[in-house]
Amino acid sequence: MIEYRNIHKAFDLPVLTGVDMRVETGEMFALFGPSGTGKSVLLKTTIGLVLPDMGEVEVDGISVYRGGRGAVEAVRQKVGYVFQHSALFDSLHVFDNVAMGIPEDVLARMPRNETAVKVWEALELVNLEPREILSKIPSELSGGMKKRVGIARAIIGRPEVLLWDEPTTGLDPINTAAVERLIEQLSTELQVTSLLVTHDVEGGLMICDRVAMLDSGTIRFCGTPDEFRACPDPVVQAFVDRAAAEAALDMVSESYD
Amino acid sequence: MNHQSPGALPRHNAITEWFAGVGRTTYITLEHAGGLGILFGQIVVAIVSLKVSIRSVLNQMYIMGIQSLPIVLVTGSLAGIVTSQQGGYQMTSAVPDYVLGSLVVETVVLEMGPVLTALVLVGRIGARITAELGTMVVSEQIDAFKSLGRDPVAILAAPRVIAGVLVLPLLVGIADLIGILAGVQAANITVGLGQESFYFGARLFWHSWDLTYSATKAIVFGLSIPLISVHMGLKTKGGAEGVGLTTTQAVMFMTLTILILDAMFPPLLLN
Repeated sequence: MIEYRNIHKAFDLPVLTGVDMRVETGEMFALFGPSGTGKSVLLKTTIGLVLPDMGEVEVDGISVYRGGRGAVEAVRQKVGYVFQHSALFDSLHVFDNVAMGIPEDVLARMPRNETAVKVWEALELVNLEPREILSKIPSELSGGMKKRVGIARAIIGRPEVLLWDEPTTGLDPINTAAVERLIEQLSTELQVTSLLVTHDVEGGLMICDRVAMLDSGTIRFCGTPDEFRACPDPVVQAFVDRAAAEAALDMVSESYD
Repeated sequence: MNHQSPGALPRHNAITEWFAGVGRTTYITLEHAGGLGILFGQIVVAIVSLKVSIRSVLNQMYIMGIQSLPIVLVTGSLAGIVTSQQGGYQMTSAVPDYVLGSLVVETVVLEMGPVLTALVLVGRIGARITAELGTMVVSEQIDAFKSLGRDPVAILAAPRVIAGVLVLPLLVGIADLIGILAGVQAANITVGLGQESFYFGARLFWHSWDLTYSATKAIVFGLSIPLISVHMGLKTKGGAEGVGLTTTQAVMFMTLTILILDAMFPPLLLN
């Protein structure tokens, strides 16, 4: 379970102004919102990559900001984070990139062949052919492959929570659908709690148990996908309409390509 | 007619602007000094807790040392040649020619060798480290390290700083040696000073402390260049433009630091 309580964060301007949100254990939860509303910032507060100015985050009962360094490390061991642009280490081969997802102390004691088996399994889970890509460096991979390697790195340590930061950004509709299927499949197979930050409203509504919308620094809506579609709030409606129009535009431009 | 409302702040004038500028500069300087202090402390902790990979240190030593060798050899030899030529030009009949040997050796060992080698490494290594780490920041690779429970200071910063401290004294030693050898040849060609006279003059005014002085400078510069470049790289914000801006600032910052530290050495260690 992830719980955000009264999260405030400002950079030059306030971004988050009192976010309260709760993601239940085993749930698939999507967070929507216009660009620049602080969705990724909120996600990063979960594992201490961005420190909130005020407020508290708890992951499975561990307080991220009151438990000191040990608590942050404990939370990071529980959580797998999929970055928006994959964030693969560009000087390392795919093998080493994925192996990095194994906790440092475990990796240090693990025989090389056992690490190889784990990396192989993780790559197969994300529908990649390990033999073909293990020795490649990130610059030799396509955008979709990078995303999958990033996902493999996030899941290899068998996390209890998966945080997805716009995993379909920059992908064409076919790859977007494939990654969304993968998110659903992995969340079910690994029985993890998933928090998905995405611009792809339709995709999020299809695969998630509950959704929320962040607007002007606070949670504007939180409920089931059906409740979201039927929400009378004009701001939510405008967002849904705009997202649908953008999706349709994407489809049209893709068909022209 | 005055349109300024009663509660409005007074208009900025040149004096308030000047004070604001001083305040901003002081704030930025203190912020960097604090950041460098914290980073240095974190590096020491990483070293003491044996978190630094020897392989990474050796890799950085290869990049900083072996790959910098050609440019250091060129710079060192040119420093020796130029000092020898200009020294020879300024010699008068009142000063014995062999004094040129002392002039060249002392100038190369005390000043030209350490400073020119450090400035070359600012451009070759410092800029590279800042750009590399800055790119890792903006592409979220540093965040990825943290999210995977890895310490970016132990993995990225410490090996570079250790390598800098170990490699720069060696490079300065090589630059000193090659500078002196080139100076001998240049003295022979320009003022006809033989090798024996050159070395006689060099020995006459030589203090063994000079070598310690040169090595101390090299160690301090070897610590400063990677420390500043890592600090600046990790503070990068924005995209490609941010990386470019930070790299430029880092080169300026490192160059100024080297020159200021260089000016502080004589009163501290030569009196």
